[in-house]
Amino acid sequence: MIDSQSARWPVARRRSSRKARSPNLRFWTVPSFAGPGVVLYVGLVFLPLILAFAYSLTDKNLLSAQTGFVGLDNYRGLLTDDVFKQSVKVTAVMTALIVVLPNALGLGIALMLSGETRLYAVLRTIFFIPIVLAGVVVSFIWQAMLTDYGVINTVLGEIGLGRFQQGWLDTPNFAIGSIVAVATWQYTGFCAVIYLAALKAIPHELIEAAEVDGCTGFRRFRRITWPLVAPAVTINTVLLFITGFKLFDYVKIITNGGPGGSTNNMALNIYSVGFTQNAFGLASAQAVVLFAIVAGVSSAAVILLRRREVEA
Amino acid sequence: MTALASRGALRPLLAVLVSVLFAAPLYLALVNVFKPADAIRTQPLAPPLSDFTTANVTNAAQLSVVQSGLKTSLIITVGALLLMVPLSAMVAYYISRADTRVARLLMLFLLFGLMLPPQVVLIPTTVILRHLHLMFTYWGVILNFAAYYLPFAVFVYAGFLRSVSRELDEAGAIDGASSFKVFWRIIFPLMRPATASVVVIVALWTWNDFLSPLIILGAAHGVTITTGIYLAIGAYSIDYGQEFGVMLLASLPVLALFLLLQRHFVSGLTAGGTKG
Repeated sequence: MIDSQSARWPVARRRSSRKARSPNLRFWTVPSFAGPGVVLYVGLVFLPLILAFAYSLTDKNLLSAQTGFVGLDNYRGLLTDDVFKQSVKVTAVMTALIVVLPNALGLGIALMLSGETRLYAVLRTIFFIPIVLAGVVVSFIWQAMLTDYGVINTVLGEIGLGRFQQGWLDTPNFAIGSIVAVATWQYTGFCAVIYLAALKAIPHELIEAAEVDGCTGFRRFRRITWPLVAPAVTINTVLLFITGFKLFDYVKIITNGGPGGSTNNMALNIYSVGFTQNAFGLASAQAVVLFAIVAGVSSAAVILLRRREVEA
Repeated sequence: MTALASRGALRPLLAVLVSVLFAAPLYLALVNVFKPADAIRTQPLAPPLSDFTTANVTNAAQLSVVQSGLKTSLIITVGALLLMVPLSAMVAYYISRADTRVARLLMLFLLFGLMLPPQVVLIPTTVILRHLHLMFTYWGVILNFAAYYLPFAVFVYAGFLRSVSRELDEAGAIDGASSFKVFWRIIFPLMRPATASVVVIVALWTWNDFLSPLIILGAAHGVTITTGIYLAIGAYSIDYGQEFGVMLLASLPVLALFLLLQRHFVSGLTAGGTKG
């Protein structure tokens, strides 16, 4: 017993002096361990991104055999392309609303449902279920509610609120609002999951100390809870930005971009230009613009939000 | 006293009220699965009592798009997981153990893929897959999903590996085991909680995805359950009752997975989100 321990001791010491690098990971393990995964990622995620930049400088079209270099013509064309410009505006409006609404509701619901009682555990599950449903399924459930003779109008009529009946998908503002409502319904639970985990991590002593000092209610939220859930705010905000920018299923299925392009966001427009018109070059230019916006906005969000995070 | 009591009851009451409102679409989807189509139109909110029927589900299950859709979704989901789980676990092991600048840069390079909207890379992906003769095949969709979700899995695994002692690697190395043996025999089994999270979440994402199978598999060549629903409701114009039946069949597998593994689901989302 003693022998084996004394025999191991110098080994352990030698390792720790070499900045804890695992002894069995020599240089050849880079290709053998990381290699296959990296090849897959580079081949089908990174290379496509590079190619998107390359295609955006061409007039590549599936329908013509010839592909020519056109420089920045595709980008110049976007400046006067009204459909594209509207899609940018639609994306901006929807994303802004989607970043705020599920985030705020998710926090409210997390505050409301945090706690160990069985009732809250059951209710939490209700909010989680929409996260696991397919966007396609969610789209059709809501479509059945939002159409002219759908559930929402029927119920409004039955409870005597007939004057609030709407063609929810027929006018631009209500159509955008409907899509945002669907996204809010599906992603509120996700935000709540992240906020619940953050709330659970707040040390109990901190809450008790605050209570002893008479710091309760809104002041306790403002001074203790809010700063301590700041990292969760960062995560949810960044993820919701990304979600908003790539929103596709709802706008494809519920409104198909309508009415009059009012819900035709960049993601759907890239799909239409690329796969309906087969204009790969033009669609790639739009994809590069989308990428630049996503990269810029999410980096800015991370930098700005990280600044106000504190350690518990 | 009464003020205190009402304040104590207010929160659970509010919680139930908000939850009921929030659950309304779920309730609607569920009750209408078991009602005939005309009852769905006239009384969408009524529970199925005298007119209770399972015809919607049985009819939906007979649709060929649903049958082949469920099969295809299962093949693609399982295939993508079988490919992605070992590859991402190995990448994460390298990153967490090598501790070099290359490893840190590799992590950043992968993280960058986490925020990439699929629409940005989808067009070139189809060109690459066409060159490999994998367009309109299961393999094309599987490879696409495995590549696209790899960064998330690496992220979860790398976070988990921080809590797995390096002494285990060293013990294995001293015993003369190769690094592969150490990884597969000792480390990978220890990563089971992280694997559970990765499997649950990525299974949900691949099962539910709509855009990639729509383009890469192509409706003319085969449907997953999501593209199948889209086609069934759009093109075949099935009745309202069957529509809800189809949606139930599409959702049962993910709901079952979620309810069985809820713990791993939540821990995966929070680990993927909060670490790093």
